Order: sequence, then structure tokens, then C-alpha cells
Amino acid sequence: MIGESALAAMGDDGRTPTRKDCLTPYMRTIGTFGLGDDALVLTGAPPGRAQKLVAMVVMPVFLVLAFFVARPFATMQLRPVEAFVASYVTTMFVTNVVTAVILFSQFSILRTRGLLVIANGYMFAALVLIPYALSFPGLFVRDHVLVGGVQSTAWVYILRHCGLAAFMIAFALLNGGTKNGRVRSSVRMAILLSVTATAAAAIAIAALCLGGHALLPTAASNNIRFSGNWFYYAGLPMASLYGLALCLLWRHRRTVLGLWLMVVAFVHLFGIPLSFFPPPSRFSVGWYTVVMINLVANSLVLIALLVQISTLYVRVLAAVRAQQREREARLVTGDAVSAMIAHEVKQPLAAMITRAEASLRRLARSTPEIDKAKDDIKQIAADGYRAAEIIDSIRGNFKKDERTRAAVDVNSLVAETAALIRDDLHKQRITLQVAPNAASPEVAGDRTQLQQVLLNLVTNAADSMAAAHGTRVLTVKTEVRDNSEVVVSVADTGTGVSPQNIERIFNPLFTTKATGMGMGLAICRSIIEAHGGRIWVAPNNPRGAVFNFALSLDPNGHWGAASSYPKGARRDEKV
Amino acid sequence: MPKNYLVIVVDDDESFRSALVELLDSMDYDARGFVSAEDFLASDTDSVCDCLITDIHMPGMSGFDLQRLLTSRNSQVPVIMITARAEPGLEAKALASGATCLLKKPFESQTLIACLKAALNM
Repeated sequence: MIGESALAAMGDDGRTPTRKDCLTPYMRTIGTFGLGDDALVLTGAPPGRAQKLVAMVVMPVFLVLAFFVARPFATMQLRPVEAFVASYVTTMFVTNVVTAVILFSQFSILRTRGLLVIANGYMFAALVLIPYALSFPGLFVRDHVLVGGVQSTAWVYILRHCGLAAFMIAFALLNGGTKNGRVRSSVRMAILLSVTATAAAAIAIAALCLGGHALLPTAASNNIRFSGNWFYYAGLPMASLYGLALCLLWRHRRTVLGLWLMVVAFVHLFGIPLSFFPPPSRFSVGWYTVVMINLVANSLVLIALLVQISTLYVRVLAAVRAQQREREARLVTGDAVSAMIAHEVKQPLAAMITRAEASLRRLARSTPEIDKAKDDIKQIAADGYRAAEIIDSIRGNFKKDERTRAAVDVNSLVAETAALIRDDLHKQRITLQVAPNAASPEVAGDRTQLQQVLLNLVTNAADSMAAAHGTRVLTVKTEVRDNSEVVVSVADTGTGVSPQNIERIFNPLFTTKATGMGMGLAICRSIIEAHGGRIWVAPNNPRGAVFNFALSLDPNGHWGAASSYPKGARRDEKV
Repeated sequence: MPKNYLVIVVDDDESFRSALVELLDSMDYDARGFVSAEDFLASDTDSVCDCLITDIHMPGMSGFDLQRLLTSRNSQVPVIMITARAEPGLEAKALASGATCLLKKPFESQTLIACLKAALNM
């Protein structure tokens, strides 16, 4: 017969986690992207804590510092370094193109209009850098522009920023709204058409600013100085558009893309007071500062996207590998099981056939041995019943839950778990409080699995308090409710669970940790539900979270009887 | 078939063993069954039987072990092996060990007859 380990590795219906490989049950939910859970995807995912810190705190602080440092010197004119401009333009171009490519690839997966728009936005920003460079005075020809006139670069600059801001606004309006439908035509067509349109817009701007520069209002006085109306031509439009973008993007701050676009909008918005009062000139300290800040902001978006991609990639890879391992284990077990079934059922079937042939022979004699034939046929029926019993017993072997359920003393389970983690908690300066229940309740369950759940909850609690200030207390309580169920609660004083995550937190792959795959709570839920219980989280007072799971109180412990394999139960022995 | 051919069936599966004994009996062989190779050897009928039909996979001594033992005793008794498993290479292994043929359960009586003929004419 197949060994215990082979049976153990196979879950019943795949819902019960196996002892060996507990990453199994929810791997199936990793289907193709776009099947509902956008949180799995780069741009819809919530940003990690480090990202939020950098975006919301570091960047503004950096900007304010830069402002105060550069402000006194803002009008100080430095030597024009054309090489700086060349490298700055090139870097911006590459950064924008790469960002656009990443966003286009995201679009090819998710196919939402918002993504297409913002991808084109970055494409636009990149393309427009070409006429910007071509018309930048001194870049290709000393003291002269290569193409266009004195106004060209300035207006290209203005239109580039206004364009990018407009794309951001469009993205903010489309994304997450009802208009954010999936693009219906093929991905390639959509990308091709939109990029063509964007390129056309870029060409139009180039034509206007380079070719028709004489028509442009005076934004720049000469190659270095901007005109007195610079604020009205550049500052006002840019400020209002980026300000609008910032406001509209605020409601997307919980996605990676939304957050970093906000940062970019904020940076550009903030650059305006720095460089517009009084009006700047090129190659002044103020100008250099603004340019550097722009560069940093754009690079940050790219870096954030790339970091997000890598972490997601690692997670998905691990999940896929686990899924493959599970599938292999099931195949191996499935094959072994089918071999076992084939072997066991063939015996009575072969006996029935052989006996049938015997009885035919007996009946075919010149003097048919009718009595013996009758006995044979009765025996055939008995063998048939036996075959049915064998199949039932094989099935019974797979009711793993019954086999491995035993009475588990909850107090001792909690005490054991506490003993396991006590040292670690002490190191983290977390006070552990365990409140055993006077009634010493017992539940029917798999002790190993339940301990796994408890350990996971306690570890999560400890992790959530890792960064918390104030008292760090971890409390594990056991309660008996209504005399029918046991509720174990793990309470912490950590960061707590935000209301919108209360349900999602048990989803596979959902995690608020920077490292970690998000499988722990999903597995816990699967284990508890396989035991017929339930698991939930509630906020703790004054702060933190309380994770609870409830199991049926079962003092008698439903002992699963190992099905015996009946042999020769109902027949006449014949040798 | 003359009734004085003694055919022994060794199989741990009781229903199949008794069914096979029954079939052999209906074919007018003198058939006896043993639940294990050990029982068979203890009964000392290995010297008087005309043919041995043994299951391969049995708890305790397997059909191959039995075959080897008989060969080491220079037994002239032809052996037919039967099995319920569909492992590849089993037939080659059976024949290589000296069995006349390997029958896979379930098998038709015609197959059995052909096998017995081959075994008893050797």
C-alpha cells in the first residue's frame, strides 16, 4: 500500500494545506493579471512604507532645504556650461523613455485607458526634448540656436511642462474611475495609434516653436535672460496645471504610480516659487537648482517603478515555483494513488472474471454441475461487494482530516507557542502576556497546523510592533463563548490594520511588509476554515490589532477511525 | 485434461486465489491453494506438484523469491507468475527468472489454458 507520506502530501480538494508544503492552497489564485486583483500589479499596488517615507517626507524636506539654500543665491549668474545641458537633456530623455516603456508594458497587461494616457505623457515629455535641445542656444553652435529663434527653447519648455501636466490630469481623471475601461482594440494597435498621435503633437509643437518662433510672444529676452512676462507665460500656466494635477492625483496616492506622479507634480510646482521670483535667467543658481531637482524627481519615479517591479517579480516567481512544486507533488501522489486503486480493485474484479469462467465451464459440461455453478455465481456477487468496499476504504484513507484530528488542549498549545517565541520577543522588548483559560478547553484539530496558525499570528503581531513607539505588549487570550466555541485572540499594540485592509489582509499575496510574500494569513485562514472555524481581525484599543480565530469546542474530540481494509468478510473459504 | 495434474496456486488475495482454484477445478485439474509462499513450502507439496501458479507481489516471500528458492533446490516444477500490477519490464523479469509465462490479472481462461499447456508440456 502507499506510504503515509504519500497520502499526507495530497490535500483533499486542494483546500486543506498539506503538512509538507503549506504554500499550496492559494497558488491557484495567481492566474493571469487583470483578473480582478489590480493590487497584484505594479501600478495598482500600494506603496511600501519606505516609498511613502521618501515620497511624502524626504522629497518635500529636500525641496524645502534646496529652496532655502538656493534662494539667496538664486539670481547669481554662473558660467554657462553647455555640456551640463547636453547631459541633462540626454538623461531626461532616457529616463522618460524608459518610464514610458514600463508604463506601456503595464498597459499591455492591464489595458486601462489611464495607463495608456500617462505612458503617452512620458513619451511626449521625451519626444519634446528633441526640439528643446535643437533650439537650446549654445548647445550645438556657440551662442546661437541650431534651429528656431530666441523664443523657441523657452516655449518648448513651457509647452512640454503644460503637456505633461495635462497628461497627468487626464490620468488622474481616468484612473480608477468609471471611464477607466479596458481598451478594446488590440494592445499593439492602441499603443501604435496613441504614440503616433503623441508624436504628431510633439511635431506640432516643434513646428510651432522652431518654425513659427516669430509668432511666439516674448518669453525670453536673449539667450540667457527671460523676459519680464516670464511669470505669466510660464509660471502661471505651469503652476495651475501642476497644482490641478497634484490635487487630482491625491486620491491615487495609495498606488505606486499615483504617489510618484504626485511627487513629480509637486516638484515642478515647487520649482516655480524658486525660479520665478524674481524671474530667473539661464545658468543662474536658481536655474541650475530647478533643473537638478527635476532630474532627481524624474529619476526617482523610474527607480520606484523598477524597485517595485523587482520585488513583484521575486514574489511572483516564488509563488509560481511553489505552485509547480505543489502540482508535481499532486501528480506524483495522484499517480501513486491511481496505481494503488488499480491494484486493489483489480483483485476482486479478476476473481469475479475467473469465477465466471469457471461457472461457464461447469455449465457447459455434458452433465452441467449446476450446484457448483450456483455457488460460483453467489461468490461473484460477494466479490462485487468487496470491490465496492475496497473503493470506499481507499476513499476513506483520503479523508485526511478525520485521520489526523485529535483533541487539542488550547491552553497547552498557547503555552508551547509562547515558550517557542519568548526569547525572540524578549529581544525585541515586547512584553508577552498569556491568559490561559480556567476551563481548559479542547478542540478537535491538527495540533501542528493550529500551532502554525498561532505562531504566524504572534510573529505578525511582533513585526507590527517592531517600529512602534510606546509600550509593546503582545497578549494571547483564550475565551470560551456560548459554551460552544473557543476563541483565541492575539492582540498587539503595533501599527494596526487600516479599515480597508481588514478584509483584504487575509488574501494571498497581500502584504504590508516590505519583505514577505503575504501568504501567512491566507494559509492561516485556510487551516482554520478547514477546521470548521473562522478567523478575523479587529482594531485594538487604543492602537494595534487583535487577530482572533474561533473553533468549535469539542471536548470529546472526533477521533477519525482509520478505515480497515476488509478481507474475506463474506464468503465461503475454498481451498 | 487428466485429473492427476496437481496445480498449486499461491496468492495472498483470498478471493482471487479461491476463484482460480475453482477455475482450475472446472478444468478438471487437481487444484490447491496456499495463502503464502511460506505455507506452500511448509506443506512439502513442491516435490509432488506438476505446476505452480504464484502471485508475484505478496507480503513476505515474493513470487520471485519463491522461484529463486525452487531453482536453488533444482526443482523441475514449471512456474507461472501472475500479477495485478502493470509495471513495465515485469514480464521480462519474470521470464528471465525462469517462469514459463506471466499472466496479468484479469486474464481470460484461454490465456491460462495456453500457459498451462506450455508449462505442463515442458
